[in-house]
Amino acid sequence: MPLTLGKWFAPSKSVCPICGRDAARTAGSGVIPVRHPQPRQALASLCGLCLRAIPWIAYPVCLVCGRAESCEDCVRRKIRSYTISRCAVRYTEMMKDWLALYKYRGNEGVETVLAAILAFAYERLCEAANSEFHAVTSVPLAPERLRERGFNQAERLAIRLAEWYGLSYRPMLHRLRHTEKQSLKSRLGRVVDMRGNFAADHSALFPGNILLLDDVYTTGSTLDECARVLKQAAEANESLRVYGLLWARS
Amino acid sequence: MKHTTNRRYGGWGVLFLLSEWDLSGSEKGALRLRVVLYAVQKESGYRAIFSISWDMDKLYWPGRALRMVRIREAVPLGYADRVCRRLEEIWGRHDGAQRANWTEEFKHAVRAVQAEIGQGEPGNAELEEVILTGAEGLAANVRLREAARTAGVRLAGRSLLQDEAAQLLDGAAAPSEQGMGALAALQLAALNGALQLTAAVAPKPPAPPRRGLRFLAERLRPARLLGRAAMPRRPQELLCRRCGSGRDKLRRTNCAACGQACAYCEACLTMGRSRECGLLIIGAPAVPTAGYASHRREASSPSSLVERWGLSPAQGDASAQALAFLSGPAPDRDSLHESSFLLWAVTGAGKTEMIFPLLEHVLARGGRALVATPRRDVVLELAPRLAKAFPDYERAVLYGGSTDRWGDGALTIATTHQLLRFQEAFDLVLIDELDAFPYHNDPMLHYAADKCRKRNGFTVLLSATPPAHLQRAVSRKRLACARVPARFHGYPLPVPRSLVIPPVYRILGGKTLPEKLVKVLRHSVRRGAQIFLFVPYVKQVDPFVHLLRNCASQLGLEPDAIAGTSSQDAERSGKVVSFREQTIKLLVTTTILERGVTIPKSDVFILDANNPLFDSASLVQMAGRAGRSAADPFGLVFYAAPVWTESQRRAIKQIRNMNSLAKRKGFLRTTIR
Repeated sequence: MPLTLGKWFAPSKSVCPICGRDAARTAGSGVIPVRHPQPRQALASLCGLCLRAIPWIAYPVCLVCGRAESCEDCVRRKIRSYTISRCAVRYTEMMKDWLALYKYRGNEGVETVLAAILAFAYERLCEAANSEFHAVTSVPLAPERLRERGFNQAERLAIRLAEWYGLSYRPMLHRLRHTEKQSLKSRLGRVVDMRGNFAADHSALFPGNILLLDDVYTTGSTLDECARVLKQAAEANESLRVYGLLWARS
Repeated sequence: MKHTTNRRYGGWGVLFLLSEWDLSGSEKGALRLRVVLYAVQKESGYRAIFSISWDMDKLYWPGRALRMVRIREAVPLGYADRVCRRLEEIWGRHDGAQRANWTEEFKHAVRAVQAEIGQGEPGNAELEEVILTGAEGLAANVRLREAARTAGVRLAGRSLLQDEAAQLLDGAAAPSEQGMGALAALQLAALNGALQLTAAVAPKPPAPPRRGLRFLAERLRPARLLGRAAMPRRPQELLCRRCGSGRDKLRRTNCAACGQACAYCEACLTMGRSRECGLLIIGAPAVPTAGYASHRREASSPSSLVERWGLSPAQGDASAQALAFLSGPAPDRDSLHESSFLLWAVTGAGKTEMIFPLLEHVLARGGRALVATPRRDVVLELAPRLAKAFPDYERAVLYGGSTDRWGDGALTIATTHQLLRFQEAFDLVLIDELDAFPYHNDPMLHYAADKCRKRNGFTVLLSATPPAHLQRAVSRKRLACARVPARFHGYPLPVPRSLVIPPVYRILGGKTLPEKLVKVLRHSVRRGAQIFLFVPYVKQVDPFVHLLRNCASQLGLEPDAIAGTSSQDAERSGKVVSFREQTIKLLVTTTILERGVTIPKSDVFILDANNPLFDSASLVQMAGRAGRSAADPFGLVFYAAPVWTESQRRAIKQIRNMNSLAKRKGFLRTTIR
């Protein structure tokens, strides 16, 4: 590594990982609503403008799915497989851009920031669930999609979160079918389409409270289906509860 | 937890979903990131090659090679590429010599690369003999050969990622016969030497120093003296082969596609992800039409240019100098200064007209020319003008989101980002506004602009305010340059005047405008000029508009005739249009409008001209908004600031220098109306 003396004397330059602006100039006045030091550090690397623009869901109105508005889906749904879920941010246009930066453009530099945002939802979920989690798992991607993208965003975020909070990450689910992108379908289409899409890995299954991660909650059909498959796979005498943890709630 | 991830992203040994990775299977997957690595013994020597279409290679080599061995398992592309380069260094050196243990060398190279990357269990390189049979297979497949030829022609002068190449070839080459896809065509073209297939992120090719002490040291290295292959002294640094970014822009992450930690380039992400296990297809240098170099013209005289293209004397003079440079000896590619020419034309000199003779010079001889600019709106504005000037030549207009993405033409007009997709394609590269964002200070775009020029091509740089290092090169005679010191209408540039007023934040704190500022603004309004009012920060635009509207009656303007815009304004283009239509009389803005917008009768006010955001280049550019038309050549320019700074002084000096140069050369009108 070349020794650069100039670096020692130059003012430290921190660039906002999201917008690329100089973070030092606008930093300072944002509040970071996360307790754990490592995600705090990640969020502190953002510039003030980006940090202040995050639409946190601090006080969810729907106490089941964690939506910031009153939620008809949860009222309408008769049988629910997951216990409760919490989401970190509202899925605004800006958050869509941030997620797209990571998911579609493949900028893995923003991964830490997104995971830190998710840490907020995790801390809220701990308060709401009032119990500890025994394992973390994530919604899997279809193999084709995985190869195209090079990574599974939910898995990466889950691993990062597990590292920070000392949980154990286990892949427990497989995706059986390659479906069209969820964002292109109607509500009914999503629910019907999800059936039989996932399979649980019996050997990796773990009794207790399981934290299931995904990036976006729209109708909750993916989350519900995954939770259903996990519960079905569990032995009858084992109690298995699935909690959802999501990055954004649309 | 660490354990579980390792299991997923294991070494070569554990193939994730083996059936889908198998290369001899269907070719449906758009991104195939594992390849077959093999070596052949030919009569003339030895070669290590990787294949993206193994069936194709099995057809190709019978009859051409004596012996062929492959690595049993498919390997990641980045790996294979490294092995091929390493062996090329060793085998390429001793051409024709017999090597008894070449298969051992092959194996050894694979192991060495494994050790270099530090992944995968060593000793995994199992060789497999390939039986060469069926020599007539390829000869019979006419369609495939035709497809490979088309691919070679269409990809000439390009450097594309795999999916970009697939889009380009879509329709042009779709040979689905006998289950061979576009990959087979690409592979055949590569074997024929029409293309080069590489990993998009690969170790930097070793470039020994050409002169100086280090060159001597290289010569005297013991390895050289013993006649052995020179080994790199330090681990080779990775490089994005598309955008030239080095280690600081590359990020290594676990990749589910190749099953390893592989690097991707963050600098050129906006143009698609370039990664170590991804394929980059580099076409052969674009071929000129027959007789390009032999056909030389005598250099045109300034007067003939003036007549032919309707240029002013100042423009004609500079164009003739540039033409003489283009007709000169072909440059040495490695020296920037031998192949570049700077056209330093003041704001409003009519740069676009001046490039017409240069483009014609190249196009008429059958060469390919490129006009590149950092800004998309300039591309959109230039395209119809060039279409009118050169109706007989095929043109391609490329920018982010353009409909025609893969057009081939003698004349290409593009934003500088699009240049990443070319390699050795153009005889003339013209870069307009080279000091504008984002081209200025972006090493990636400079690399791209350099890469897209042919080895014996020329670069012409256009600017009103060239950056300091180019100005220095000109004054030291290391860079050829022609100055255009006068505007096309022949009047001198308006020289900025100073106006001492309080800083903007102080003005915004109060309720009124400073009396001095009101006085000059009122004067401009009375003489019927439209007003550009520049402030340094976006956040100051709206408060200032509000303040001006409150004082509108003082200025003699309607409050609605005052507006503000900035880079954050969604309605910017609409406001610029209404400013052009004169519905807006006074526009408060930031440096975003420092170039490009031309208003016939306008005055310019730059508030807080002492702000470090306004360097001398942007001060000159902003001053250049005034006095653009022959009807009103003496627009007013004010640098309003509490203090006088070096940037302001330098900007005024530059404007004065140009004016006196124009006067000396006799480009100015002698009679003043």
